[in-house]
Amino acid sequence: MLPTSLDEAVEALAASPAAVPVAGGTDLMEAVNAGRLRPAALIGLGRITELRGWRYEDGGTAVLGAGLTLARMDRPDFAALIPALADAARTAGPPQTRNVGTLGGNIATAAPAGDTLPVLAALEASVTLARPGATREVPVSHLLTGLDPMRPGELLTWVRVPLLNAPQVFLKATGRSGPSRATASVALVLDPARRAVRCAVGAVAPVPLRPLEAEAWVAGCIDWDARGEEGVPAIDPAASAAFGEYVATACVPDGYGADAASGLAVEGPTAVALRLRRTVAVLARRALGRALK
Amino acid sequence: MTSPTDTALAPPDAPADSASASASAEGEEGAAQPFGLGSSPLRTDALPKALGIYPFAADLWAEGLLWGAVLRSPHPHARIVAIDTAAALAIPGVHAVVTAADLPNPGEGDAGAPGPGTDRPVLAAGVVRHHGEPIAAVAADHPDTARLAAASIVVEYELMEALTDPEQAFNAPPLHPDGNLFRHLPLRSGDPEVVGEVIVEGLYQVGRQDPAPIGAEAGLAVPRPDGGVELHLSSTDPHGDRERTAACLGLERDRVRLVVTGVPGATADREDLSFQVTLALLALRTGRPVKMTLTREESFQAHATRHPALLRYRHHADAQGKLVKVEAQILLDGGAYADVSSEALAAATAFSVGPYICPNVFVDAWAVRTNNPPAGRMRGEGALQTCFAYESQLDQLAARIGVEPLEIRRRNVLATGDAMPTGQAVTCPAPVAALLDAVAASPLPALPVDEPDTDWLLPGGPGGAGDPAAVRRGIGYAVGMVHMLGAEGEDEVSTATVRVSGDHATVICAAVDSGQGFATLARQIVQSVLGVSEVYVAPVDSDQTIAGPSARGRHTWVSGGAVERAALMVRHQLLQPIAANFGMSVELLSIADGKITSYDGVLGMPVTEALEGKELWATAQCRPHPTEPLDEAGQGDAFVSIAFCAMRAVVDVDIELGAVRVVDVTVAQDVGRALNPGQIEDRIEAGVAQGVGLALLEDLRTSGGLLVNPSLTGYRLPTALDTPEVRIAALLEERDVVATFGAKAVSAVPAVVAPAAIAAAVRAATGLPVGRLPIQPEDAVVA
Repeated sequence: MLPTSLDEAVEALAASPAAVPVAGGTDLMEAVNAGRLRPAALIGLGRITELRGWRYEDGGTAVLGAGLTLARMDRPDFAALIPALADAARTAGPPQTRNVGTLGGNIATAAPAGDTLPVLAALEASVTLARPGATREVPVSHLLTGLDPMRPGELLTWVRVPLLNAPQVFLKATGRSGPSRATASVALVLDPARRAVRCAVGAVAPVPLRPLEAEAWVAGCIDWDARGEEGVPAIDPAASAAFGEYVATACVPDGYGADAASGLAVEGPTAVALRLRRTVAVLARRALGRALK
Repeated sequence: MTSPTDTALAPPDAPADSASASASAEGEEGAAQPFGLGSSPLRTDALPKALGIYPFAADLWAEGLLWGAVLRSPHPHARIVAIDTAAALAIPGVHAVVTAADLPNPGEGDAGAPGPGTDRPVLAAGVVRHHGEPIAAVAADHPDTARLAAASIVVEYELMEALTDPEQAFNAPPLHPDGNLFRHLPLRSGDPEVVGEVIVEGLYQVGRQDPAPIGAEAGLAVPRPDGGVELHLSSTDPHGDRERTAACLGLERDRVRLVVTGVPGATADREDLSFQVTLALLALRTGRPVKMTLTREESFQAHATRHPALLRYRHHADAQGKLVKVEAQILLDGGAYADVSSEALAAATAFSVGPYICPNVFVDAWAVRTNNPPAGRMRGEGALQTCFAYESQLDQLAARIGVEPLEIRRRNVLATGDAMPTGQAVTCPAPVAALLDAVAASPLPALPVDEPDTDWLLPGGPGGAGDPAAVRRGIGYAVGMVHMLGAEGEDEVSTATVRVSGDHATVICAAVDSGQGFATLARQIVQSVLGVSEVYVAPVDSDQTIAGPSARGRHTWVSGGAVERAALMVRHQLLQPIAANFGMSVELLSIADGKITSYDGVLGMPVTEALEGKELWATAQCRPHPTEPLDEAGQGDAFVSIAFCAMRAVVDVDIELGAVRVVDVTVAQDVGRALNPGQIEDRIEAGVAQGVGLALLEDLRTSGGLLVNPSLTGYRLPTALDTPEVRIAALLEERDVVATFGAKAVSAVPAVVAPAAIAAAVRAATGLPVGRLPIQPEDAVVA
């Protein structure tokens, strides 16, 4: 099925709830080709042009179409709007993948290493789920954690992202220079209006993790009034480093990776956990440093 | 020295686009093309491959074909209690299901086919010894049906403990009737009692690199009316494969024909025996053509990998750093089946000290059987693992004595005429010192200090997490060596036919161009010898005369030699009547620039005129001098010739995240004679890329014998951003007098040396020991 409008797509999905909507298909078709997935039917979303752009709402929110491609998000106009999301989209894969892969697809696939997910979590974005005649708004984090999952027949249509007009950073540690899956990623956004720092760590757990206590603590360490003045550090480097450690300890449990090793009970953090913590700590410290530069 | 074809080179100022455009129109414009030895014509398949129109084996098609699929073992070690194929056969569209019981000769043990892998069954019978070992195969009218049917075969397993630690192989119960030890090779040379003033020790580990061919295994088998079968696939050893396939199928060898098609570039042997025999068996069973293509995951399970290795070294030196004694223990994990482990072990042992002189050497090397994926041939097997170890040792020694890494190498280098620890004198050119000088003299890449921060390509990649403040640059050097041609008494021979018909020539030689460029080289040889510009290289099949496998850098020498001899014989036939006509001997005529000219330049005629209406052909063989096996003390003249290479790697390391980016690799290589400089540079770049992969990225991991990352997402190959700028500091042309054209094989040695050079550079940047490949981020983090 190849609907050309959003309404058509929603109707089609309601009519056959077993069908799987497909946008870029970069994850889905790989699973189909490998025989892991045998969808009863596919609903191609590629012709729904209204989902491929974005619009503004109330002056403070961008409503992004689920069909927005990763390549489009990397363009300068979008990057000026939501820089961290653009950074995440840029590193999400090779050009072939980014040209067809979509924001909605990234959310629906909900891969642990999905690059846009920590950014959406840090931005506290929400998604619109549509079915005939009705829509509902769900925070991305609720959707990802399964607190409020997608129901059969629902289509992910829009992603609402608050516009913060402040520095935001996405950093990703990978095993190679070329496009690669993240071993850990950190998204960090500043919200000067609320004097808040929001941070999410990706790829270390099935869903992005928010170190809420570390966020609150570091927001108190930042000299918000010094921002913008030449030569005045907005934060003590020691506090920045401590923030990194705080985030890492909060997001990487002691027993991380223990099941893969031996299955034995562990005392203290495993070597894998220590290594991952160091990576996350460096990423978080650098992300904060870049955001406050 | 001026070669007779130098004058015929294409003008160097010819615009590049016209060169590539005319490449497709070759034939009409043949004379304007780079011509003869020493020039760099483009590969004929380069453009089709770049454009995506080259037909690979997976593109083969035959009317009414069936699709094959294989059932593979999900366990690394298990006894097969029963196989029930009834459910699979009951599926509509399934035409045949075969197991080991259907093979006239299952290929295991003494009854097996000759050649490598004699201990390896085509389809597992009784026991599976590694994850992914083929057990049964299906032919059906649709690929999905075939896969579904393969999955519905019920196999009852009795699980057995998997032996995955090669160090345990010695004491573990035997996994195979042949035992767990493929080979133990001791090397004893000199006085064991000597002790050096300085002693450095190290333990080194090399992971499992996969050849990861981008073209996965694929082929088509067509039954013949005479009861035989024709196999179309990208074999790299058509005759060897035919012999083995015929033996396993219980057929006369003439009943099996192997047509080489769509070789996608191979750095290892292509299309394992099991694949070929199974495919042929399905075609014979069903009486219909059968096509089979492996998925990426199956491809990782099916083909042989590089030998993971554990190496323990102790170097003794005097106060000046001159080597006094080297002691080493080398353990290669050969995986479930023997394959070429014995050969790899010979190289590892013989080159355990590297291109250095050491009077006292004591090595024990073992290749053992485990339930890990089978290891086999892959560029520089054996030589690569030890290169990483001995070069790491030399770095350690330099640091201990307090001299530069380059200096410690200069003090110990091997030269032509020196003896190796195996007692063999290096009679071929060994310009190791000159290679080191060449890379040392090459300018270093600039630091990006003058460029804006945003343009820096930091470790971690563009848009990555790199921080210039945490980046350290390191420079590392390494030299290494690899042998050419079969070692230890293996009979090396190749046959080629050259035919001249009117204005064009044809080369018929069963040497497969697996990317090493043999087809291009054959063309150049005939152009040089006969002055004919249009040279076709016939497609390869097993009905042609034997040329042997594409491996160990042998075709340039053996098959190139055969082509040259055949061409010279044709030349003689061509010139004899002309010489008689001119009243002089053949030796006084030369062919250059498309003309036959007498020694004094007075008499002459164009080659095309001399050839008009003629049909001349000749067949010749080339067989290099024999070698001998290494004896029980590791002594013997085991190698025909050796190639050397020196490299300098420059890396940037993010010392907080452990991310490494190779900035630049500068190479000086001993090539004997550059027959096609462009192709040599390509091969060096390819070797460096593969070396970068092993040094930093590529590791086919297993957990309890099960493959963890058999996909191109999990198994990380270097991308264009990971491969460095490769600069050629020198291609040293010191001719090897016994080699064809004096040329040495070029493909393997860069892959051997690059990992060692990169490890040395990471060591220089971080000050950490770096004892394993691939280097993990945690190995490069300075806490």
